[in-house]
Amino acid sequence: MDVPRTVTAALEDRPVDGRRCLEAGAGVGNTTAGLLDRGASRVYAVTDRREDAQTTRCRVDRGTDRLAVLEADLRSIPLPDDSVDLITAHGLCNVLDPSALSMVVAELTRVAVPGCHLVVDDYDPLPAEAAVRELFAVENAAANLATGRPALTFYPATVLRHQFEGQGWTSDRERTLLEPVPWTENHLGTHADTAVSFARDCPDDLGESLAERADGLATELGSESAGRMYSLALQLQA
Amino acid sequence: MTDQSKAVDMRTRPLGETGHESTVMTFGAIALNWVEQEAANQMVEHVLDYGVTHFDVAPMYGDAELKLGPKLRQHREDIFLGCKTQEREYEGARRKLEQSLNRLGVETIDLYQVHGLEYDEELDTITGDGGALEAFRDAKDEGLIDHIGLTSHSRPQLILDAIDRIDDLESLMFPLNPVVVGKDDEEHDYEAVLARADEEGIGTLGIKAFADGPWPPTDELPETDRPFANWYQPVRSPGEIRERFDFAASQGLTSVVSAGDPKLVTMILEAAAQYDGMDEAAQRSLIEQSRHDDSPVPEQLHH
Repeated sequence: MDVPRTVTAALEDRPVDGRRCLEAGAGVGNTTAGLLDRGASRVYAVTDRREDAQTTRCRVDRGTDRLAVLEADLRSIPLPDDSVDLITAHGLCNVLDPSALSMVVAELTRVAVPGCHLVVDDYDPLPAEAAVRELFAVENAAANLATGRPALTFYPATVLRHQFEGQGWTSDRERTLLEPVPWTENHLGTHADTAVSFARDCPDDLGESLAERADGLATELGSESAGRMYSLALQLQA
Repeated sequence: MTDQSKAVDMRTRPLGETGHESTVMTFGAIALNWVEQEAANQMVEHVLDYGVTHFDVAPMYGDAELKLGPKLRQHREDIFLGCKTQEREYEGARRKLEQSLNRLGVETIDLYQVHGLEYDEELDTITGDGGALEAFRDAKDEGLIDHIGLTSHSRPQLILDAIDRIDDLESLMFPLNPVVVGKDDEEHDYEAVLARADEEGIGTLGIKAFADGPWPPTDELPETDRPFANWYQPVRSPGEIRERFDFAASQGLTSVVSAGDPKLVTMILEAAAQYDGMDEAAQRSLIEQSRHDDSPVPEQLHH
């Protein structure tokens, strides 16, 4: 499978060969594939979504014994203390609200060996003029009404860096992976679908109007290139 | 906008070891096929106003050779002329070369290329006894052509084999765009061709830089109803054209060949004139965009 350039660019200056790696939030397995390509001795791909676990197994597995896909909550990772040498969180933190984020940071720190490397790739908050902000705002409104938590939080790079530094990590570097970020029809349609599914659990007719707005925005916008995706690299103090 | 009152200083790069400096844009003269002679004359003047030095044509481009002729002859010293042949054997290649010289009305062609190499057997034929390359070499000895090149949008490995087997190869023309670069499999590894060509001192010309996707099937959109003359659906807004130009030019190609439809030429000239590199985050942005447009994996929230 094709490893996205965002992943290769984020990993290219990190020591992957022969390392035990943890992909936190496996998504569709893009980073897992990148880690295996770069010679990871083992990759634990952790996700709490069954369909992502299946997609990752199906896309990446190819009979390797170096991959273990774990269906688990990142606030409680089924791995012992000090057990991985490199952790990636590629597009993970934006789906964690602040309280989940701090628990996940603590848990990732627990499983990391001293000297462990960490790659955190995420999105800066969108610029004021970006039209896609409205779609994400509708998605968050529906999520908040349905669950009490936002669906998406775009943390500035400095905020995530400080979160990890507070747990004993030191910053190595920051680089820009994408600028602008291409929010394609595929992405916006998926965000609209997410909004619609939260909207179903919203009280009274508010959900209906949010769902309608989300669909309308995705159609109206089509696609937009806006914002920045960054990559932070940190290391756990030995 | 570009100031039309003075010549534009379009960037140039050495075309391998030919000694020629090609502009970052090569004019794909197939565009002349779709316009009348007077408009063709104007288009050549227009392209030269932007400082473009490298033109590329072929006998299979309708009557593009004939329409290029008058202005080519008038400005012969300012134009590095590439032409090509689909003939694979000696006699055919010689005949096509003479025909092109005749139709263009010039004494020499600066770069003569094997056109559209597609199969391994063709590589055997052109490199073998009585093959097209023998005709090229004889023509070179006679001063009818100066340099030998090859074009292909076939498998990258075939092009790499051609580099191995043709010692006097001086330029290559092959596809390069964000879709191709985003695919890791061997069938799309034209970056390997680029890297190898650089090592060997072979000039590189990029085609399909402006391709956006295939045309819909002809039962949905008949060929006669297509809005552009290109083989593929091109990107068509000035912003997209510029992004695609910048992307292709920043991969390390010697020059990017303009798209075949005359409606796109001015936008591409503008993009080439303004070319000032492209940072890696912006290049990745285009690769990601095409990867998702084209992705077999549903439901992606992230990049």
